This record gives sequence, structure tokens and C-alpha cells, in this order.
Amino acid sequence: MEKSCTLLIHFDKGTPAIANEIKEALEGNDVPAKIDAMKKAIMLLLNGETLPQLFITIVRYVLPSEDHTVQKLLLLYLEIIEKTDTKGRVLPEMILICQNLRNNLQHPNEYIRGVTLRFLCRLNETEIIEPLIPSVLQNLEDRHPFIRRNAILAVMSIYKLPQGEQLLVDAPEMIEKVLLSEQDASAKRNAFLMLFTCAQDRAVSYLLTHVDRVSEWGELLQMVVLELIRKVCRTNRAEKGKYIKIIISLLNAPSTAVIYECAGTLVSLSSAPTAIRAAANTYCQLLLSQSDNNVKLIVLDRLNELKSSHRDIMVDLIMDVLRALSSPNLDIRRKTLDIVLELITPLNINEVVLMLKKEVMKTQSGELEKNGEYRQMLIQAIHSCAIKFPEVASTVVHLLMDFLGDSNVASAIDVVVFVREIIETNPKLRVSIITRLLDTFYQIRAARVCSCALWIIGEYCLSLSEVESGIATIKQCLGELPFYSVSEEGEATDASKKTPQANSITVSSRRPAVLADGTYATQSAASETAFSAPTVVQGSLVSGNIRSLLLTGDFFLGAVVACTLTKLVLRLQEVQPSKVEVNKATTQALLIFVSMLQLGQSPVLPHPIDNDSNDRIVLCIRLLCDTGDGIRTIWLQSCRQSFVKMLSEKQLRETEELKAKAQVSHAQPDDLIDFYHLKSRKGMSQLELEDEVQDDLKRATGEFVNDNDDANKLNRILQLTGFSDPVYAEAYVSVHHYDIVLDITVINRTKETLQNLCLELATMGDLKLVERPQNYTLAPESSKQIKANIKVSSTETGVIFGNIVYETSNVLERTVVVLNDIHIDIMDYISPAVCTDAAFRTMWAEFEWENKVAVNTVIQDEKEFLNHIIKSTNMKCLTPVSALDDECGFLAANLYAKSVFGEDALVNLSVEKQADGKLSGYIRIRSKTQGIALSLGDKITLKQKGGG
Amino acid sequence: MVVLAASILSKSGKVLVSRQFVEMTRIRIEGLLAAFPKLLGTGKQHTYFETENVRYVYQPIEALYLVLVTNKQSNILEDLETLRLLSKLVPEYSVSLDEEGIGKTAFELIFAFDEVICLGHKENVTVAQVKQYCEMESHEEKLHKLVLQSKINETKDVMKRKASEIEKSKIDKNRGDKGGFMSMGSGRIETSLSEISIPSSGSGFGSGSGFGGLINEVDSFPTKSKGRQPSSATAPPKGSGMQLGKSQKTNQFLESLKAEGELIVEDAKPKAGQAKAATALLTDPITLTAEEKLNVTLKRDGGMSNFDVQGTLSLQILNQEDGLIQVQIETGGNPGILFKTHPNMNKELFSNENILGLKDPNRPFPTGPAGDAAGVGLLKWRMQSADESMVPLSINCWPSVSGNETYVSIEYEASAMFDLQNVVISIPLPALREAPSIRQIDGEWRFDSRNSILEWSIVLIDNSNRSGSMEFVVPPADSSVFFPISVRFTATSTYSDLKVVNIIPLRGGAPPKFSQRTNLVTENYQVM
Repeated sequence: MEKSCTLLIHFDKGTPAIANEIKEALEGNDVPAKIDAMKKAIMLLLNGETLPQLFITIVRYVLPSEDHTVQKLLLLYLEIIEKTDTKGRVLPEMILICQNLRNNLQHPNEYIRGVTLRFLCRLNETEIIEPLIPSVLQNLEDRHPFIRRNAILAVMSIYKLPQGEQLLVDAPEMIEKVLLSEQDASAKRNAFLMLFTCAQDRAVSYLLTHVDRVSEWGELLQMVVLELIRKVCRTNRAEKGKYIKIIISLLNAPSTAVIYECAGTLVSLSSAPTAIRAAANTYCQLLLSQSDNNVKLIVLDRLNELKSSHRDIMVDLIMDVLRALSSPNLDIRRKTLDIVLELITPLNINEVVLMLKKEVMKTQSGELEKNGEYRQMLIQAIHSCAIKFPEVASTVVHLLMDFLGDSNVASAIDVVVFVREIIETNPKLRVSIITRLLDTFYQIRAARVCSCALWIIGEYCLSLSEVESGIATIKQCLGELPFYSVSEEGEATDASKKTPQANSITVSSRRPAVLADGTYATQSAASETAFSAPTVVQGSLVSGNIRSLLLTGDFFLGAVVACTLTKLVLRLQEVQPSKVEVNKATTQALLIFVSMLQLGQSPVLPHPIDNDSNDRIVLCIRLLCDTGDGIRTIWLQSCRQSFVKMLSEKQLRETEELKAKAQVSHAQPDDLIDFYHLKSRKGMSQLELEDEVQDDLKRATGEFVNDNDDANKLNRILQLTGFSDPVYAEAYVSVHHYDIVLDITVINRTKETLQNLCLELATMGDLKLVERPQNYTLAPESSKQIKANIKVSSTETGVIFGNIVYETSNVLERTVVVLNDIHIDIMDYISPAVCTDAAFRTMWAEFEWENKVAVNTVIQDEKEFLNHIIKSTNMKCLTPVSALDDECGFLAANLYAKSVFGEDALVNLSVEKQADGKLSGYIRIRSKTQGIALSLGDKITLKQKGGG
Repeated sequence: MVVLAASILSKSGKVLVSRQFVEMTRIRIEGLLAAFPKLLGTGKQHTYFETENVRYVYQPIEALYLVLVTNKQSNILEDLETLRLLSKLVPEYSVSLDEEGIGKTAFELIFAFDEVICLGHKENVTVAQVKQYCEMESHEEKLHKLVLQSKINETKDVMKRKASEIEKSKIDKNRGDKGGFMSMGSGRIETSLSEISIPSSGSGFGSGSGFGGLINEVDSFPTKSKGRQPSSATAPPKGSGMQLGKSQKTNQFLESLKAEGELIVEDAKPKAGQAKAATALLTDPITLTAEEKLNVTLKRDGGMSNFDVQGTLSLQILNQEDGLIQVQIETGGNPGILFKTHPNMNKELFSNENILGLKDPNRPFPTGPAGDAAGVGLLKWRMQSADESMVPLSINCWPSVSGNETYVSIEYEASAMFDLQNVVISIPLPALREAPSIRQIDGEWRFDSRNSILEWSIVLIDNSNRSGSMEFVVPPADSSVFFPISVRFTATSTYSDLKVVNIIPLRGGAPPKFSQRTNLVTENYQVM
């Protein structure tokens, strides 16, 4: 068992204190110097020095000191020194401190007594404790509550020791007596805690005899009572009837901590709807009454748990949960919305949407900082509501369309995407949406929103009047033609004076970006608007929003306008009986296209039209001049079809995810079945329940190590020396969260005794050896298990190398056997994770370290290569499978993983199949820290060959 | 509901101070704390985050983070409360809230943290309380020190006086008229005195020979308490020594020695028998001593289970020539008393004329102080009674438990028959570390912590104080602990009221000078 560590203090190595100086100061009479020296000694000890010679000095000169601080420091010192030898026996000199401890326990100063008692709580050596027991017991009756408190705890920890029951046979009775007469709240709590841990039945009987007064007890005691109830009920479920009443009475306690605990206890005790409802209600109350964000978030977590286990009950409370939206904190709002969205039923959908709508309205009035983001969240929430329950779409879509002109681009985009989806899935709403969209189109300010809205207009204006008004709206927004004339030059230069600044920012921030589909692009209008300051029309809208956007040089929008007009005109040709009108519209459209091209070549703009947009507009011109049926169907129908396909795919994906989730919670064929009527609860089985709490603590302290099966263990054995070496060593490396444990077996292969055998380890990278190695003596042909702990502080590949050094009796020199290097794999620290597309891109833009690895592989198939990389890097592919489906000769995908330290690792893979069948391209790794980028790069370089 | 650790980290993630409240390995806590800065998000409006196993609740304080590491099921409301308290404490102890400042006050912070969290559980304390706990200003300790100091001072005074007395006695001794015994005694005195004269050295009374030395030494100064002349140094050391042992001053002296860490075999409880020794000096040629020993057992709730008086009359003659005498006595006529003469006595003479003479009138009484110090027994008598009114001193003890203390009130009531001297009432107590607190007392008290006996002494009980009481408080104890109470006293009158009227010399001539002593002592006087 490894030694526990009770305190850490940062130690500045710059000022090393020498043991001799400390010793001198300790021997002196100067109290401040003594204190100082004690502190230094403790720090040195914490730093790994052993200072064995200091012990006697301390016994001689520090023990008798009357200064309180010295005494307290002495206790700290005693706390951290090694009190046992290697075999676990108490060192004989420790008996020297017993007398001092005993005196301290009888010291006239009550605080000295108190801290000494507290120190005893941390002491594990029975040999030292035994003579002190009478003094400890005496303190149980002290008149200071401070002493009694600590004395009770000391009794508890003594009783909990392996032989504690023999040392203090009647401790439970004693404490029970104390508990009966005790007045101090803390001491009472401690006494109850002692009974709870050491003699549960006594605690229960005490509780049951005082049932009526539980609600009057102090907060601290009530907490322990609840803990006790949980524990008792876990082991003996039949008992729970007795306790429910207590819990219910405590639900009205004045302390919120108790209330919170009550709710938790209630949930763990019972799955009866009333109990769950009471708990959920309590949580909701806390959610509203507590102003602290932390509390709110954790309470929301609890509600979330309740939601997954008792959805039917939580559904009724949906409105209460929604009230948490009143908090200004975005995290809270997001969590609330997440919970609420999963609780929506046909019954409450209207109420919820109404509430959400109200919230949306509120964001319009108040000018709070985060309003935009919040609105976006609400819109997304409404969006998902509308998808689940299409009937509500009609009530919200119009409201939301007011936000198309929102200055917050993200929320406007959400709205327009929402509208786009609704108009497809809800044919009934098409007419009203189109009318509304045409009405509000002029308000749209952002280029991306604009292009999306234009697409909707182009696709869904079906009737003659709609098509006509669509064309009219676009024309209106484009303003008078031409866009640019010589007479306007003066004006335009004024305008251009402003624009270059804006553009210079755009240009400078332009760097390689990853598109949504995973393509790695160096320049893209679309991506630029996504990351850099979005293009938004400034100032008045008099001259039309599209026009202003075009004048800033957004030719991608120009191309979209051209496409939309082309579609509208093509449709007009179908619905307009009068050829004259059609031709008129066609010519007007052509005029617009030409003007845009002209604008693109004019010198007023900071940069000329890009080739893509140019080509597209030219294509539109050609199309209008000469239309064929094939092209017509492509333009008028295929677009819509692929959109429909995209939607259905999205839905498919969602349902698949749901299915996958459902799959997980399905019972195994050989699972125990809990019969509701027989067992009164469902879900976790008995065994799982029992250890839940205990494990939580154990896991937290790191005591709990989930041992994998041994077969797996054997796969990870590393041979460290050769079979013919005099010392054979092999290591089993187990990687826990923040530490690596090397389990090294050393075998003496010779017929001689090896003396002072020492395993010297050194590390490279962000690894740190925790303790110094010890020397061993190894008999002929015997073996020894040595454990070494190594601390890891960041995700990085590390190397551990070392020697085994030993002496034999006939050779005077030390012999050295060099060990194989142990490579610590970064893969042990990263695990696949998911993040949203947007988050991925933001991180990609932010992160400073990039490692670019050229693809060099024997694998011929792009898909296979991607899978190989995913497998060897332990990452998650964010790009949907559907996007990778077809054989097109190239592939781009984003991979993501998170390390145990919370670091993100991003990988973008772009490969192309060459004419000769080989793959070429790059893998780019980005991370916040250099370590990950480098280590992951190395890993990929190493593994990418694959195949062969 | 457990706080695993409370730590202070710098913004850069350096662990400045960390105090763990449950057992965990160093690698574990360092790992947890090393992960903290990496997990710390920016721009969040809440101050906690959870990993797979633990929850961190933190609070930024200027350039530092105050972090609580808890398990995930921990009660967040309670933890926040704890965190708030700790965050108030940190600036109290650390003047500058930066790395350096925390480094300087690391230990003070650890002490303060300890007061707030106990074995991972929150304590119900305030900032002021924590400060008070950490300052450790104890009224009790001051008091203790004060008492100690005054005892030391007092002892020093005693020492000086004794030293001067010894000087005197040395001069006396040098006059050379004392026996070898005395010189041996005073030799001892010298050695022990030279030792006590440096009390701070703390080695005054080695427990090996210390006891003997001590007794001799005390024996030599009966004057101290009784105001007698220094000449008393010639008295046999066995004399009144124990009386003095009981005196307050010596006790204090011993107490203070003990307080200085000296192991003293303190056996201050004298046996009743020793008290019988005569107090006066045998200077007269003929001494007649009438002594009655009292064996009384009283019941604690009133009543008497045993009452027995045994008396002797003894004669001591210094010179051979005074041996041929007869003693005429007079008894009080108490019918309950049966007299028995020595077999060598002339019984007829006694029963007819109350004269004690040997059967053979030509034989002299044995003489010399060399013999039995008490002299020759002439007459014995015995009295038994069931009459409670005969009890010279009744004790009433009322222990009562109240709260977590026991109040004991004791009262005595003395019958008007005797004036009692040197009354000592010894009450056994439960094992105590310090003296019980005496609320009220008539007379003086001392506490013998070794045997845990409280001794209540009254120098004289006469008509002015026929009854008295004492009250003291001890930690809760069963009432049976306080029994049996034993009592010692002496008195100068007896039950038999026997008096020597005359000494009749058989050879004629003037009756020789004689002295007469009457003495009542307790042999075994107990309240069961």
C-alpha cells in the first residue's frame, strides 16, 4: 500500500536549506528560528528528502518546546515522517513521541489538546496510539466542545484501525453516551458519524428514538442522518418505509444543503412517482431560489439524470424547469433547453413553444450582451420542436422570420435554415412563408442569410404571382442599374475608403480553412463569411441590401442572385402564358447579370470578381439565352431533390443515433429481470446500488482501479533486458489517468547474490518519477517485484529509459545492465470525442500548433486509408459517413479526440487518388499545445504506411 | 459529502499549498491538481467542473485559484459554503495574495484549513472562530501557568525559611548534646536540602532515596506548622512528621515539583497508626498516658455499623529509682466501659480503691525510654455501643450529577463531647487529571492526584464550628466512587474520662512529679 500524502507545499528549490542549519536552529532557544527551521524541515521532507538524523534532534529539542506553533508544526512533521520500516513495523524510536503526545493530550491549553486529537485521526500505527487511549478518552468529557469534537473523531479513527476494535472495545457505547448528552452541533455530528461508521445499528436506533426531533437538529447532523438512511436502505431495502417520513420532514429544512441532499436521497430510495415528483419539485425550487450558477448547473444535472430515468414524471415539471431560463447565464440556459427539449410531448408542446416565443421576444427588447447567442439557442430549440411536432411550425415560423434581419448573423442563419426546412417539410405553409419572406427580404443584412433566402425564393416561388413578386423583390433590392457609373465614381471612392479597412481585416485573417464537408480550402467566400467578421450591410437600406453587399465585393452573392433569377425566369416561362412578359423578365435578368460582371471588373472595388462567380454568372447568361429541357430539369428539380435527400439523410442519421442510444440501454439476454410488483423498483440491480456511493469516493481518491482482465495485461508486457543478461527484467506498464505504474519483475539469473541492486529510471518528455528507487538484495535465481510510479502532466509521447545496477561479492565494481526504452504512447491519453462542426472550426482557427504530415502510404483506397488512420490514432471521424460514400478520387475528413487532461486534438485528412493509383495529400494536426501536435504527428508518420 | 483536498494554485497551475483530508497517494493528488489548470475553461460564469471521478469547485482570488477537490456526489451547496469560508480565510492569513505571499504563510493556511474541514467533513465555524482556534489563546493555560508560578514562588520562600532553620538546627547539633540518631537524620537533611535549594534543576528528590529523605527532612521541622521551638529537632523523627506531611505548604511544594515534571512517589496518606505517636516530649520522670483508639464504621446513608473504643493506660518511668509507686486513678463512671488490668496488677486493690499497683509491692515498674515508647500497659478498657449519639463526628456526603458534572457536597457534624483536632477527611475521587474545583469549603483542602484523594482538613473543631461543609465539582462519576470516606482526628479527652489522681510512692516521701496525657485518636474511622 502506497503512503498517503496529507499535504503539499510548493517548495522553491532556489533556497535549499541544509540539514545542518536546520539542526542548529532547532537546537537553539530562539523560538522564531525554531519555527522557521521546523517549516524548512517539513518542506524538505515533502520534497522527498528523508533527513533521518533530524528525528533525534527534534525529539530532544523540539518536543519540550512550549510554543504552540512549534507544537503544531511538530504534529505536521510527525504526520509526514515515515513511521514504519519497510516491513510495516513501527520504528522503535517512535515510542519517544508517545510521551509528548500524551502530555499534549493533557495540556492545559485546550487548543493544543484539540490539534493533537486531530493529529491522532491521521495516525495509523496502533503501537503509538495504544498508550494514548486513556488520555483520548479523558478528552471526551472535556468542557470545551472544540476538544470533544476532535476527541470523538479521534476515537472514530482509532476504532476504524485494523485492530481498533480491540483497542477500544466499548467505543460505540461510550460515544452513544456522549451523543445523548452532547449539546454542541459539530460534536454531535461527529458522534453520530462515529456510530454511523462503526456501529450502524446504534446509529439507527438513536435515529429512530429521536425521530420526532430530527427536523430540529443541526444542519450538519441532518446531513449525516441522510447519509445513514441511504446506506441503511441500500443494504436493507425493507427498512426504507421507516425513513421516508424523516426525509419528507427534512425536505422542509431551513438549510438548502439539507434539502438538496434530501432530494438526492429520496431518488436513491424510491422510484415511486410521488417520491420522484417530490425530489424533482425540490430540485426545481432550488433551481429558482439559488442564485449561484454552480448550484443551478449541478441541480440541472440532477434533473437531467431524473429525466433519463423517470421521464414520465419529469414531463409534468417541464414548465418549472423552463423557468430556469430567467438566469442570464448561457450555460444554464443551454442545459435547461437541452433538458426541456427531451421532455416535449404533444400535450405540452404548445405551452413550451409559447414560453420560448416569449423568451425570444424578450431578447428583442433588452440589450444584453449575450442576447444574440441566447436568441440563437432559442431559435434552435424552436427549430427542433418544430421538427418533432410539425404542427407548431405554423405558429412560430412567422415570428421567427422577423429575425431574418437580425444583426446577429448566427441566429439569422439559424432562422433561415429553419425556414428552409419548414418550407420543404410543411407544404401547407409554403405560400404564407414565401409571401412573408418576400415581404421581409429587404431587411436581411447578412450575405449568408441572403443567399439562403434567395435559394428559398428560387426554389419555392411556384405560382405566377409568386414568381413575379420574387423577381420584383430581387430587382428592388438590387436597386437601380447600373451598379457603378462614372458619375458615381466620387461617391464610390468615398465608400471604398471605408471598405478597404474592413477588407484588410478579412484578407489578413484569411488562411487555410476547413470546409463543412471536410475539404481543405485556401480561399473561399463561403468560409470567409463564416469565420471572419461577417459581411453585414451597414447603414441605411435605402439602396437595397443586395446592392450594398455587392458593392463591398461579395460576388459569391452575385452568383447566387444570378442563379435565383435564372431559376425564377425559367419557372416564369412555365407559368406565364404571355411570352412578352417572359421575354421582358429575361432581358431584365440578363441586364442585371451583365451589370454584375461589369461591376466585377471595375476598378472601384478592392478586388475583382473571382473566377468561380464569374463563371457562374456567365453560365446563367448562357442558360437564359438558350434553354434546353435537360438543363431545365436540373435547375428546376434536381436542386430541390438533393435538398430533400439531405433532409431525409439528416433525419435518418438522427433516428440512427436514437436507435444506437436505445440499443445501449437494452437489457442483455442474461440480465436479471426486476419485476415491478415483486421488487418495487427498476433500473439498477441490487449489487450495483450497494457500491455506488462507496465507489464514488474510492474512485475519487484513486483507490479504485478497474483492473482489466489479465489476458489483456499479458499483452502489454515489455521485455527490458535480454534473456542472457545476468538480470532479466520485464515490465507491465499500466497507464492510469495521470500516472503510469511500471510493474517490473527482476530475476537474478546468476548463481550469485546480487547486492545493492537498484533500478535507475530516467524519463524524457513530460514525465516525472515520483519516488527515488531503493536498493535491493537479490538471492541467486530469485525474483523481485518492483513498482515505479511515474507522473504524467500532459499528453505527450514520453520515453522511460534506465539501468539496473548491482554489485556482486567478488567483483568490486558495480555492474550496469541497460534496459530497453519504454515508450509511453500518446494513444493511452486520448479518446475519441465529438464536437460540433462549428466548434471544430473555431478551434481549428484558434489553435497555434500545426503539424503537417505528407501522406505516404501503400494503401490504395482513400476510404481504407481513412479507416486506418482512425484506427491507429484512436480518434473520431466527424465527417458523416454519407459524405465519404462515393468514389470520386478524393476524400477529406475531420477527426477529433480529447485527452484526459482536457486538451483537444484536431486532425484534418485530405487525400487524392493520383493517376498511378497512389494516394497523395496531407494530414494536418492542430492542437493548443506543441506536445500533442508533435506526438500525434509522429504517431501518424509511424503508422500511416499501414497495409504492408 | 467529502472534501478530498483544499488547495491553492497559482494562475499558472503551480500547486502552492494543498491539504488533503482523506487518505490519498501523492501521485494521485498531484495528478488531480496538475489536471486542474488544463481543465479550467475560460469565459465561463460558473466555477466548477467535473471529470470522470472528481469535481473541482474553485474560486479565483487575485492571482490564485482556491480549489476544493470533492467527489462527484458531494453536496455542492455545502461545498460552496466551505469554499466561501476558505476564501475569506485566505486573505486573513496571507497579506499578499500571490505566490510569494502564500508560500510564506503556507503553514498558517494549512492550520486554518484544518479547522474548517475535518476528515473531509465541513465544520460549523466562522472566520472569527477559526482565528481564535488558530491563535490558541487559552485562558486555562494562563491560569495554569499563573498557579504554577505562584507555587514556585511559594516554594522558594519555604525553601529559604527552611534553609535558615537548618542553619539553626546545625548550630544546635554542633552543641553536641544529641544522639547518634539525630546526627544521622540531620545528615540527611543537609543532603536533601542542598538538592532542593535548586528547584529548577528538577532533580531534587530522586525517587530512590527521596522518600526517606523527604520524611526525615520534614520531620525535622515540626515547628513550621505548629509554631514550636526549633529545639524540637531533638524529637524522635517518627514523631509528628506525618502531621506536617499533611500541611498545605508541603503539598504545594510537591505539586509544583510534579508540575516541573518530577516523578514523586507521593504517599502522603499516612496510616492511622502512625498518628498515635505522642506529640509531646517525655521530660517528666513519670508519664502516664491514657489513650483511646476509635474504630468506627458509619453508613453512608446514616446509621452506624460499628463503634468500638479501645483504651489503654500506660506508664513510663524514666529513672529506676522512681519505679516503686502506685497509681491512683479516677474514672468517669461510664457503665459501658469494662476495665481490665494487667495480669501483674493487684486486682483487688484496683477494684476497691482504684489504685493500680503491682501484686508484688517490692517489684518496681519497668523503666526507661529504651523500651516501648508507650511505656508499660497498666490498664485496658473497651467500649462498644450502638448508640449513635456517641459518634464524635458524622459525615454526610451528597454527590449529585448535573449536566456533565457531578456536584459533591459534604458536611460534617461533630458532637459536643469532644473538641477535635487535626481533622482530616479523605474523600476518594474518580481518576482526575487536575484538582477538582472546590466551590466552597470550611477549612483547607488538598488534592492527592496519585491516589486521587481529596483531603479536607480542619485544624480544630470546637464549639465555634461544630458543623461545616464543603462542595466541589468533578466530571460526572458514579456516587459510589466517593466512598469510603476515611477520617482522622485527635482529641484530648476520652470516653472513659480516666484521670490519674495521684502517684503514691511505696517507699514514702513526697510524691514524685508526674505528667499525665490523655489522647483520643482514630484508628479506623470510615464512612462506607
